[in-house]
Amino acid sequence: MSKAKKKAKQKEEWTPELLVFCCNWCSYAGADLAGVSRFQYPPNMRIIRVMCSGRVDPTFVLKALKDGADGVLITGCHIGDCHYISGNEYTRDRFKKLHEIIIKQLGIDGKRVRLEWVSASEGKRFADLITEFTNQIKELGPLKVF
Amino acid sequence: MRNLLKRCYQCGRCSGVCQLSKVQKYTPSKIIQLILEGFEDKVIESGVLWDCLTCNQCLKDCPEEINFADIVRMARWKMRHIANQNPDELIAHKGMYTTISEIMSRPYIQPERSLDWVSKGCKISDKGTTLYYVGCLPYFNYEFENSDSIAKSTLKILCQIENEPIVVFKDEICCGHDIYWGQGKLKTFIKLGKKNMEMFEKAGISKIVTACAECYRTFKVDYPGIFDDFNDKFEVKHIIEFIYDNWKQNKIKFKNPSESSERIPFTYHDPCRLSRFLPKDNNITEKTREIFKEFKRLGYDFKEMEHNKKNSLCCGVSSWMNCNEKSKALRYKRMLEAKAAGDIMLTSCPKCKIHLSCLQDDFEDIASIEIMDFSEFLVDHIEIINPDKDTEITE
Ligand code: SF4
Ligand code: SF4
Ligand code: FES
Repeated sequence: MSKAKKKAKQKEEWTPELLVFCCNWCSYAGADLAGVSRFQYPPNMRIIRVMCSGRVDPTFVLKALKDGADGVLITGCHIGDCHYISGNEYTRDRFKKLHEIIIKQLGIDGKRVRLEWVSASEGKRFADLITEFTNQIKELGPLKVF
Repeated sequence: MRNLLKRCYQCGRCSGVCQLSKVQKYTPSKIIQLILEGFEDKVIESGVLWDCLTCNQCLKDCPEEINFADIVRMARWKMRHIANQNPDELIAHKGMYTTISEIMSRPYIQPERSLDWVSKGCKISDKGTTLYYVGCLPYFNYEFENSDSIAKSTLKILCQIENEPIVVFKDEICCGHDIYWGQGKLKTFIKLGKKNMEMFEKAGISKIVTACAECYRTFKVDYPGIFDDFNDKFEVKHIIEFIYDNWKQNKIKFKNPSESSERIPFTYHDPCRLSRFLPKDNNITEKTREIFKEFKRLGYDFKEMEHNKKNSLCCGVSSWMNCNEKSKALRYKRMLEAKAAGDIMLTSCPKCKIHLSCLQDDFEDIASIEIMDFSEFLVDHIEIINPDKDTEITE
């Protein structure tokens, strides 16, 4: 989005911009199911599909925040269900550290970065999760990075 | 750029001494020649200059004192902004730490750094005259365990010597070194600089002490280059200088807490930012040696590595750029030198410590060397003469 457009948009009403990482095998299918079943959820997020939540490097999250995302959500298969056996366990450990050491110390509210497990059958849950997350970020307001 | 290089007469010494040229095809003198012949654009386009370690070995031997590392720094700006190159895949740790610095440069971001590493009994405050500038150490904990032990030891030393509480900012931001040298992002660097200056002024700082070679060089040379009055306002000291001054003023002396009579050989790795990146009249390397001489008395044997002081070899990575197999080869070489010289290797740059100890996981033969920061080593070896206060600093 160009800067001018963004400014114009800000004048209207602020809506958060969220980034969601979905793993190919569970969460993306979950998101798909939410769509096919026509569950409504707020439209201000973008999904990036990755093969496994283990692919999401913590730097992706930081770069997203740096470039203007107001919140980042990482979703993957439930623990034990990862199609690469332990990808999501790595993600879990890594994100705990990312939260405690980097996000917190940067003075960014920890609620803006979230890790959730969504399976392929949980379309409803996916929709609810996005709604809840969006509302949460709305409450926090924009992350002023510029 | 051409004007800065005009004096080069192609003696080729820089290429001879450049460490990088030993592990890959890379010759600074050739690059200079190309630029002089008018192919600056080609050089910029090719992106070779992302590879330079900016270690400044070449400057040290150049008869014409051509500061090639500085040229590389400027070229990187051009490569990024004019040739639109994005070196993301060359940045170590996927750009984690440089991204953090960039986030910190933004005006509304106010870090809330952990102060868990501050020892009990160390009095700190957020206003005062002497600042301990910690640098990015608390963030390094993400990947490198116990990085903040350097901060802990340094603060302990400062607290013991100074009577006033030391200023440690909870919202301290990055000095911008890596952004400036590695990334060519001049604007971000200036933003960080301005934000830093404001913070220092607001807290009433007049003296900045740091234990990081990069922060030191940045404050000492690069900030004054951009903000004219920086040097008039703030006195910048590396912890080595700080200890040295106090020692010369007879405020402290050195002791050896261990009873054993075995002599321990140790060596010192000069970080490039302290040995080659400072004005000529700065004699911090000599000061370090003088302190080490004193340690002879205490049952330590200080031995130089084959390459030392201004000739010291690079730790392999600078500004989080290019950590790869070539850099590992350079580091391995350095570690072998260290092994030949002593059991303990000191350094005074947290990143040198990180880079060199990282290699120890890969190679067993060098794993026995203990790599320590200068302040981590010295903290137990300092005794205050006539302490007029009782500081009980516990863990
Ligand atoms: S050492 Fe100096 S004068 Fe000699 S080739 Fe290199 S830059 Fe040119
Ligand atoms: S700064 Fe170091 S790596 Fe770069 S050209 Fe000079 S000697 Fe080689
Ligand atoms: S495949 Fe879904 S988290 Fe690994």
